[in-house]
Amino acid sequence: MGRLLQLLLRNGGFVTFLLVELGCFAIMVNFNGRQGEIWANTTGIFGGRALEKRQMASDYFSLYETADSLAHVVDSLQARLSNARQVQVPIRDTFFLVSYDSLSKTDSVRRKTVRPQYGFITAKAIKNSISGANNWVIINRGTSDGIQPDMAVVSPAGIVGIVRHVSANFSLVMSVLHQQAKISVALPNQKNAFGSLTWEGGNPTEMTLRYIPQHFVVKENEPVVTSGYSLMFPQGHPVGKVIGLPKSDPENPYFLEIRVSLSQDMATVRDVAVIYNLYSSELDSLQLKISSNER
Amino acid sequence: MNGSSIYPHILRFIGLVALQSLLLNQMTLSVGPYFNVLLYPLFILFLPLQMPTPYLILLGFVVGMAVDATVPSWGVHASAGAFSGYIRSLAFKPFAPKGGFSPKDPVFAPAHMGWQTFINGTALFMAAHIFWYFSFSYFAPVFAGEILKKTLAAWLLTMIFVGLYAMMFNPKK
Repeated sequence: MGRLLQLLLRNGGFVTFLLVELGCFAIMVNFNGRQGEIWANTTGIFGGRALEKRQMASDYFSLYETADSLAHVVDSLQARLSNARQVQVPIRDTFFLVSYDSLSKTDSVRRKTVRPQYGFITAKAIKNSISGANNWVIINRGTSDGIQPDMAVVSPAGIVGIVRHVSANFSLVMSVLHQQAKISVALPNQKNAFGSLTWEGGNPTEMTLRYIPQHFVVKENEPVVTSGYSLMFPQGHPVGKVIGLPKSDPENPYFLEIRVSLSQDMATVRDVAVIYNLYSSELDSLQLKISSNER
Repeated sequence: MNGSSIYPHILRFIGLVALQSLLLNQMTLSVGPYFNVLLYPLFILFLPLQMPTPYLILLGFVVGMAVDATVPSWGVHASAGAFSGYIRSLAFKPFAPKGGFSPKDPVFAPAHMGWQTFINGTALFMAAHIFWYFSFSYFAPVFAGEILKKTLAAWLLTMIFVGLYAMMFNPKK
């Protein structure tokens, strides 16, 4: 005790003042209702803010994991949405595979007949071109991730292309901006209006839709979606919208030639999903049974 | 501080704490919230000028705690008392003669300093004490206006009572 006093005396009054005031403060907030409440509220507010900041910092550093996790959630939801459109509906004791959006119905019998048809694998575009006559996209997923040729590649906004060549860790995707790319699309506002979407070079935001018969009255800004007939792209994925008025196809006057503005800006493709058809091998072997004479 | 010189301080301690708790605090309750007179800091003010600051702080804490025990406002007066002990030498510094106070001036009293110096030094000392007291009493910056108003009112009233006390007792040591 004596040594403590000597220490305090040597170090002047400030240390003593500080210690005594700390003691007073402790007494004040512990034994007085008013000061105690104010102190509890203040520490609560600042403590809460500190915790909030800490949580924000923690959240910030785990953004990559969060984004990755969300991408998987999006994939899962996209798969459910796409698969929900492929429904086996019992009609008169016979099962028919029909195009039917089960999400708009609540019939439990019909819901039970949903058969998953597509799976999704997330990927990132690491190289992309849009200025050539034939453009390609490289994604950071390969055979080790389950990617195989002829799988479709989409983004949340639209379609991106078709996988053509695969290495262990990367895949070369034929962009929709490639003159050999043909995508089967539909006009959902028209009944049974299906056509083929191709790119003829030039403007990378537009493609040409052909083989829509002349009797369809197609309006400007009508949505264009995937038809689901290619077995690569699931039905109903957004593609773009009609721009301008359709005109007669000069190569085939029975059909229309429609300009389509792509909903996915191909210059900014980044996060994509590779879609695989769960029945691709079964469908391929079935198609092989078609003899060359029948083709 | 020899044995005989301690007694005035002990008597002052008891007298001022009793006056503060039995009369002045009761007057606040009966007259109104703006009637505050804090006389017990005079105990610190009249402690020997040569006393080291740490002792002043500890004695300020003790006298404040004694007043707190009667209110009760645990720690509030004690904090203000300790603060007054710490700043006493700073408050007196502008009024000290060149070379500082000599041992011939045992306490900061009119009998040794003259009335004008005493009133000036005490006014500064009391203002600091009263402001600190109300700051900790309200304990939140949102009451800054109230703290300043009460500090001003209490300081004016306290200085009147300080004058009366000094005239009545005219402490010399």
